[in-house]
Amino acid sequence: MCFKNLPIEFDAAGNATLKAGVANPYTYTETPLPTPIEDDPERMRQLFARNGAIRRVDFDPVTRVAGALAFHTVVDLENRQVMETASMATLFRGYEIILQGRDPRDAIFISSRACGVCGGVHAMASALACEMAFGVKPPPMGVVARNILQSTEYLYDHPIHLSLLAGPDFSEEAVRETNPEIWQRALDTRLPGRAIHGYEFMSELMTDLTPLTGKLYLEGLHYTRLAREAYVLIGGKFPHPQTVVPGGVSASLTASDLNEILLRVVKYFDYGRKTVAIWDDLADFFYDVNPKYRDIGTRPKSMIEPGQWDDPYAYDATFENADDWARQRWAPPGVIVDGELVTTSIQMLNAGVEEFVEHAFYEEWTGSGQDQKFATDPAGNPLSPYHPWNKQTIPKPTATSWKEKYSWSTAPRWDRQAMETGAYSRIWTAAMYQNYRTSDYIEATGRSLKVQLPKAELPNPLIEWTIPETWGAFERNRARAYCIPFTAAIAYENILLAYDLLRKGGPDAKMSTPYKVPKDERMGVGLWSAGRGYLTHHMEMDKGVIENYQILTPSTWMASPKDPFGNPGPYEEAVMATPLLENYEKPEDFKGIDVLRAIRSFDPCMPCTTHLHMDDRTITREIISCACGSDGPHDH
Amino acid sequence: MAYDTGHKQRLQTVPNAGGVFGTDVDPGLGGLGGSPDGPLNIVHVFWIAGMSCDGCSIAASGATNPSVEDLLLGRIPNLPKVVLHHPVLSPGAGTEFIRPFRAAVDGTLGAPYVVVLEGSVPDDQAFPTEHGYFSAMGAGGFDPESETDQPNRVTDWLWKLAPGAAAYVAIGTCATWGGIPAAAGNITGSMSLADFLGKDYRSALGVPVVNVPGCSPIGDNFTETVAAVLLFLQNLAPLPQFDELGRPAWLFGETVHRHCPKAGYYEEGVFAEEPGDHECLVEIGCWGPVVQCNIVERGAINHMGGCMVAGGACIGCTMPGFPDKFSPFYKAPPGSAISGGVSKVTGGAIRRLRRMSMANGNSEPLWDNAGEIPSGWGRASGTKNPVAKVNSFFYKKLQYSGSVNQAKRYKNQPLPQSRDILRQKGIDMEASTPVLQEHWVTREEL
Repeated sequence: MCFKNLPIEFDAAGNATLKAGVANPYTYTETPLPTPIEDDPERMRQLFARNGAIRRVDFDPVTRVAGALAFHTVVDLENRQVMETASMATLFRGYEIILQGRDPRDAIFISSRACGVCGGVHAMASALACEMAFGVKPPPMGVVARNILQSTEYLYDHPIHLSLLAGPDFSEEAVRETNPEIWQRALDTRLPGRAIHGYEFMSELMTDLTPLTGKLYLEGLHYTRLAREAYVLIGGKFPHPQTVVPGGVSASLTASDLNEILLRVVKYFDYGRKTVAIWDDLADFFYDVNPKYRDIGTRPKSMIEPGQWDDPYAYDATFENADDWARQRWAPPGVIVDGELVTTSIQMLNAGVEEFVEHAFYEEWTGSGQDQKFATDPAGNPLSPYHPWNKQTIPKPTATSWKEKYSWSTAPRWDRQAMETGAYSRIWTAAMYQNYRTSDYIEATGRSLKVQLPKAELPNPLIEWTIPETWGAFERNRARAYCIPFTAAIAYENILLAYDLLRKGGPDAKMSTPYKVPKDERMGVGLWSAGRGYLTHHMEMDKGVIENYQILTPSTWMASPKDPFGNPGPYEEAVMATPLLENYEKPEDFKGIDVLRAIRSFDPCMPCTTHLHMDDRTITREIISCACGSDGPHDH
Repeated sequence: MAYDTGHKQRLQTVPNAGGVFGTDVDPGLGGLGGSPDGPLNIVHVFWIAGMSCDGCSIAASGATNPSVEDLLLGRIPNLPKVVLHHPVLSPGAGTEFIRPFRAAVDGTLGAPYVVVLEGSVPDDQAFPTEHGYFSAMGAGGFDPESETDQPNRVTDWLWKLAPGAAAYVAIGTCATWGGIPAAAGNITGSMSLADFLGKDYRSALGVPVVNVPGCSPIGDNFTETVAAVLLFLQNLAPLPQFDELGRPAWLFGETVHRHCPKAGYYEEGVFAEEPGDHECLVEIGCWGPVVQCNIVERGAINHMGGCMVAGGACIGCTMPGFPDKFSPFYKAPPGSAISGGVSKVTGGAIRRLRRMSMANGNSEPLWDNAGEIPSGWGRASGTKNPVAKVNSFFYKKLQYSGSVNQAKRYKNQPLPQSRDILRQKGIDMEASTPVLQEHWVTREEL
């Protein structure tokens, strides 16, 4: 059914099984990468015989992304093409080894600290993994409180990207520096959205996107704070909340808290309308200037989305029922391959995930696909030896080589295909989902997602995000803008649910369910997206301590290096396809705005991209001692 | 055009890659600028992320007093304008972003600079560069003649920038003490900035490492400390007080429990039994009584929230012992068995006496005289039980001894004649008036 490449088939009842009669079904043969241009003298000679405008352009670091990302390119500035790309995650901390052997109750607070941009979602995913392992289901109010946390986190997260990180690339200063002719055009382009955002001309809008001094920049900064103010009333603090616990939320939630949260969330109705109008006008303006802008950062419409915002009465924390309760989320799970929704089963989504390390600073751990601890998940679906529940990453820092190893990010794949994920995969999956939950404000039509918010100050047209025909940087940013009103609607709906529960009282209004840490072997997984997409925490515990803990994050999917089949990661693929539309006369003037716009449209968030897990701590000593030698400062 | 480095052919690079804002950036974010002569009007801040989650950057972006933009736009009179070089915020990328860092290392920046470190320091100096790195920023080595294209280690930036820095600030628990990346069982050998630079480190102005802890820290704790240090650098104020671990003494001098809104529950001996309860949290794992932190009075952002304010137990995230000395989380600290037990006994008695005094305070003297409380809301009753009467008698004796009791002196003042006016006018209050009727809308209709 949904798998083309994995050795999984489905019986008449729809149950997944391994294809019969295949020995070592997950084993593969590695495809070597082509020799990098600089390592190939013959190719260098041929290239320069034809064209003197080939340059190596490295962006190290890529700024205005969260965390440590560097990006290598070779560009042909005469033909305005990118010839070679390599995406590098340049940080490694080893969170999972720190978790290993600990009391599982430590997992939430420690794993939250994997990421300081979206730390709240890690706490949430970790709580879900703990709940599945402990067998504890939170009361409805606990789920609703988490939904409010999650949505207010996104209401901070989307503005920070659109205003502070991506927005400056479309500001007056950047446009004048890189494409002065577009600035000229902006000066007399009137905007369709002026009734909503208030800008008569594109040039005025671009001026206000300018870092620090632009009104839209400062307004965006303000809205990142307002949502965090709402967040900390339940979460205590941000980015690392203090109240997410197994079995619910440790918040002493009062009517006053809900009032304060509501009065902040409703401000995002108009802010959402305005942001949508701005990014609609920006995208349409650039397309109008040059249709090739549709190709900035383009790649196949293949994405993975675990979903989030649980139904307070459906979520029961079991893996066996996960397909049912996850489909009732405000953002349902799904995998989209080449624009087609191939599954909405969260179990199949999970079963299709593998991580590869051929081009990352780790060593292979499966003995070429032969060794694995878990052949199936708790519901009996087949698992790959490369699946996170089976993963044992062995770090090995080495020199950077484009042909061998060049990143601390692994290469996650679903059905052995590169996937992107983000705010856009969330509304895309929701829009396509036939049985989208009943909502007072949101409707899925199969080709679009409609959001009708209550009116505030601005005119109140129906907000409808339509699945785009072409896919690239501008559509990513546009979709993220639409996620602000979408998220505000979900926040509002959940606040109203919380009022009802608070008033009714009783067991449903309790914040958490008591639990005991079990002493037998348990598995758990939290499948719960971050603001920027896919997030899972896979846990295995035994004798009351964590045996294995694996975090897989959105930017690991997208910053991924090449996989063993020779396919690039999404950033690499998107930049390869990016036409260089920047205005430069000589190669020396090249700045790389189109490449940067392509990368930033994914909303990279690197802190939580790189992780590590190891079974045997003696490897530590090897790493350090092989490196520093016998006379080093470490006495091992 | 290619050139030969002696090892292999190299492609030519472009000089301003990533400089999408041009090379002459408006001060505030990125760019060079400043003058070694004249008054101090510009201070560069190099924000470096080591083994970090970027949470300190996010926390700082939430600060409101002063805000980051207040500092960067030079809005605070007499403070030098801050030019921030920050990987998450700077407009320029790549070469363009790194240029000022190199200028600072070379001593050619032309203005004083402060270094801020977020995240702990990995032990990758322990192995040679050809074995790679744990944390990197920029590439190509530090020597202008270098032909390497390998990533530059963050740890190299950290020590190279140290001697020339006017001040060195560690933000967050990772940089100040080591934090999670340095927790037991880590394999990166991570440590704090002070561990890395050594206890003898002094900045160019003679200041040891300034530590603003918290995981994540309160943004305002950081921006206020920066403002205080800048006032000192401007010679407008003395060096602010720091404690023996380099913490701003005025921010971290108290335990978080002393100002906790739930501390009153502790005093009265009532404790939360499970997450979500409103009472004091020590029995569900709160370490507040022994943790130096100000989040309950400062709030997490713009004076909102704060761990225990929202109902979350303190896990000691501002302390050098975090996380290992405060885990497993959600388990009551052993000390709470004694102190909490004592508090339950004494606090229980105090609480009961207080409830009686509170009931007395909830009655206006007129209501005492009328023997009735004019509230339609509940079972408020103007009559007192005998125990309350006895208690009230002695309480008032003490309260007014050596002074006067006005309420008692005017005890016989007549009741107002228009009291209970609707009943006097004969209005039937049992009959309901359906005022909303057709104006009533359901949520669906909204």
